[in-house]
Amino acid sequence: MPQEILLKVSDIDAYYGSLQVLWDVSIEVKTGETVAIIGANGSGKSTLMNSISGIMHPVRGSIMFDGMDITMMDPYQIVTLGISQVPEGRRIFPDMTVYENLRLGAYNHRARPKREQSFENVYQHFPILEKRKKQLAKTMSGGEQQMMAIGSALMSDPKLLLLDEMSLGLSPIVVNELYYVLKEIRSKGITIIFVEQNVRRTLEEAERAYILETGHVVLSGSAESLRAEEKVKKAYFGA
Amino acid sequence: MNEIFSDIATPVISGILLGGLYTVIALGLSLVFGVMKLINVAHGDLVIFGSYFAYSIMTYLGFNPVLSLVAGIPLLFAVGFAIQKYFMARVFKRSMEAPLLIAFGISLVFENLYQILFTPMSRGLTTSYSLESFILGDIYIPVVYLLNLIVALIVMIALSLFLKKTFIGQAIIASSQDIRAAQLMGINTARIFCLTFGISAAISAVAGVFLGLTFPFTPVSGIPFLIIAFGVVILGGLGSIIGTFVGGIILGLAQTLGAQYISASAQMLILYVIVLVILAVRPQGLFGR
Amino acid sequence: MKVNPHRFKEFIVIAVVVAVLAVLPVLGLPRTWLLYIFLFFIYLALANMWNLLSGYCGLISLCQPAFIGLGGYTLVIFTWNGLPLYMGILGGAIVAAIFTMLISSAVFRLRGIYFAIGTLVVPEALRVVFFIWRPVGEQIHGKGAGYMIKGLNDVSMTHIYWLAIFIGIVSIVIMRLTLSSKMGMGLAAIRDNDSAASSSGINIFKLKLFAFVISAFITAIAGSIFYMFQGYIAPESGFSMKWTMTMILATVIGGISTEEGPIIGTVIIVFLHFLLARYAGISLIIQGILLIIIMLLAPQGIMGFARKTKIYQSLLRLTAGDSI
Repeated sequence: MPQEILLKVSDIDAYYGSLQVLWDVSIEVKTGETVAIIGANGSGKSTLMNSISGIMHPVRGSIMFDGMDITMMDPYQIVTLGISQVPEGRRIFPDMTVYENLRLGAYNHRARPKREQSFENVYQHFPILEKRKKQLAKTMSGGEQQMMAIGSALMSDPKLLLLDEMSLGLSPIVVNELYYVLKEIRSKGITIIFVEQNVRRTLEEAERAYILETGHVVLSGSAESLRAEEKVKKAYFGA
Repeated sequence: MNEIFSDIATPVISGILLGGLYTVIALGLSLVFGVMKLINVAHGDLVIFGSYFAYSIMTYLGFNPVLSLVAGIPLLFAVGFAIQKYFMARVFKRSMEAPLLIAFGISLVFENLYQILFTPMSRGLTTSYSLESFILGDIYIPVVYLLNLIVALIVMIALSLFLKKTFIGQAIIASSQDIRAAQLMGINTARIFCLTFGISAAISAVAGVFLGLTFPFTPVSGIPFLIIAFGVVILGGLGSIIGTFVGGIILGLAQTLGAQYISASAQMLILYVIVLVILAVRPQGLFGR
Repeated sequence: MKVNPHRFKEFIVIAVVVAVLAVLPVLGLPRTWLLYIFLFFIYLALANMWNLLSGYCGLISLCQPAFIGLGGYTLVIFTWNGLPLYMGILGGAIVAAIFTMLISSAVFRLRGIYFAIGTLVVPEALRVVFFIWRPVGEQIHGKGAGYMIKGLNDVSMTHIYWLAIFIGIVSIVIMRLTLSSKMGMGLAAIRDNDSAASSSGINIFKLKLFAFVISAFITAIAGSIFYMFQGYIAPESGFSMKWTMTMILATVIGGISTEEGPIIGTVIIVFLHFLLARYAGISLIIQGILLIIIMLLAPQGIMGFARKTKIYQSLLRLTAGDSI
């Protein structure tokens, strides 16, 4: 069965203030895929993520999701359509309980009726969240907060999950655990785009990847082919 | 001996009860500040809007001012919602000054509208019970003061239940903690801001009625009550309903004790000086910056 | 000393305009006309001094009526004690300046919107003080009574009119001198970035205080002159927020943070007063609406708008000649 294209970013230019951050960036993601965006700090990865989730709007180009033009939509509309972003730096609501944080994930009206089912789903992926549900979010460890952030995103019943620097500042054990859960999530048919700096790990986990450098897509292809690419080897593996 | 006791007890009890009124006046200001980081300089004028609305209903239709809230609450909600939607939202991102100056303009428009409609004369909401007192031992306490505290408790409980238990309430809290994250949760923060402003104004409708029952008011009463509300908010800390209550009681006590032991005519001055001193000592600290 | 030809030309123009305005009362211009010119210069001084704080130091001051009221009341206290009017005006300015220094340590700890609210409390508090306190004269029954200003018998209206022109012009000169001095550059640094300015060794507190004191001084004088004309001061009018509104509006309409803005804005405000002279309440409502509309549609005011247009640019080149 030919996979259909879920997300199509076409030739976008984006600015941060008056500074151009993205130049003519295009990416395509098919339903059910796991795609990585790789790049150093300041390469425009987060800007690309934020443009997809509607926090920023590109100045030129278009973003299509599930057959709809979402280029100029507001974040809340995009979430309702089925894109959920776990932002960089685990932006959670520190003075709310875990339960309240998760419940807010199901705020959009498409996800609200399925709330109980989503709770079960999240607790199944992250049993610890059920144990901690009455605890204030700010009192949890970094890893637990990240689990909760991913849990919140899952509560919105997403078709596409954006993970921005998921493993930043977390211990390798926690990161392993998170990747394990991501595999489970993928197996349920949720498409994933994740942004990472750890190239080796990323190319192991993703099926395809785009490499961004100073706002341009410089390379793209299957994870395997990228691992073999001389340029990638030199730049990222020091080989 | 008894006299000395009632000398102290009267201002203490009436101060605490009056603190209830100040809490209700300040809750709206605190809510808008907490969520949007905006000090609404027109807040006092919205409270007085509530007072004049109740006054009109009472004078022209003969309804009890408290009953007028049935219409007053939705009306002020709509006014607040519209202020945010059509004015504040447009200049929010531009600078700190723009919303401040717009609120200032709104305040001026309201004040002069009251002047034209109701003359500069001082008005009050006089009802059958507004002049009555109840006796507690040797102490006379106006019934209205007791009502103030009861209403404060009702509004506080209603507001905290709303914030805690409803989706919109949770969205308001989320927006106050982290706007970006709230947007990513699928919350339409622009709409939440309008609702927050509306709720703040709706609380002001309640505050306006009980203010009118307690004190006489004029078209320019908005500024003094804005300052009191501001003082309550900085005393009580940001985003805490209980803190606002504590702040309200402290200012209520300061006023009644000041009136008793310093000078009745200087009671407002005492409040202003307290606000200035808090500002000088802990300008932003109390806001939790 | 090098004489800038552009400056010189400007000076001549101003001198001619002032001379013409100054002889108008002698020529027998109708009194209402003179009143509007009088108001123009008083409001101009107030707007300039508000612009100095808000437009150039980033201090949105809402306590300017405190200086006006202090100026007016000091004038009352002086004249009731038999001291000359001029000493009263100067005394008021000094009282306002000292008062500013006293409150500065408190209000300068506040930033942005907190500063605005903090300063809002000040005139309200003073209003209550002068409502209770009768500094001179007999104690009377009841409170809040105002005062007549004594010693006005020998002062003609023309005289007061000249004083207004004088303080208006002084405020323009002060803006010009301040902004072209080193202090002006320091102020620009404060407004653009407070922390960067402080780390670059600019003494922010001193600069802000200096601007605040100047502003209080001139505002108090303008207030005193206004109350000389009025002949009577009461706490509700002297410390009224309406003063703040007038200066904010004049500055914002004309263009905040521009030197010309308050001048243009004040012309418009006075014209509004003229149009709506019989409907004071409606006039204020219209002013409030105007402020909101300008903030929504053209927050940089007329000057900000004009600066973007080509006509202004070419006009600037034309008048500036070779000096730019």
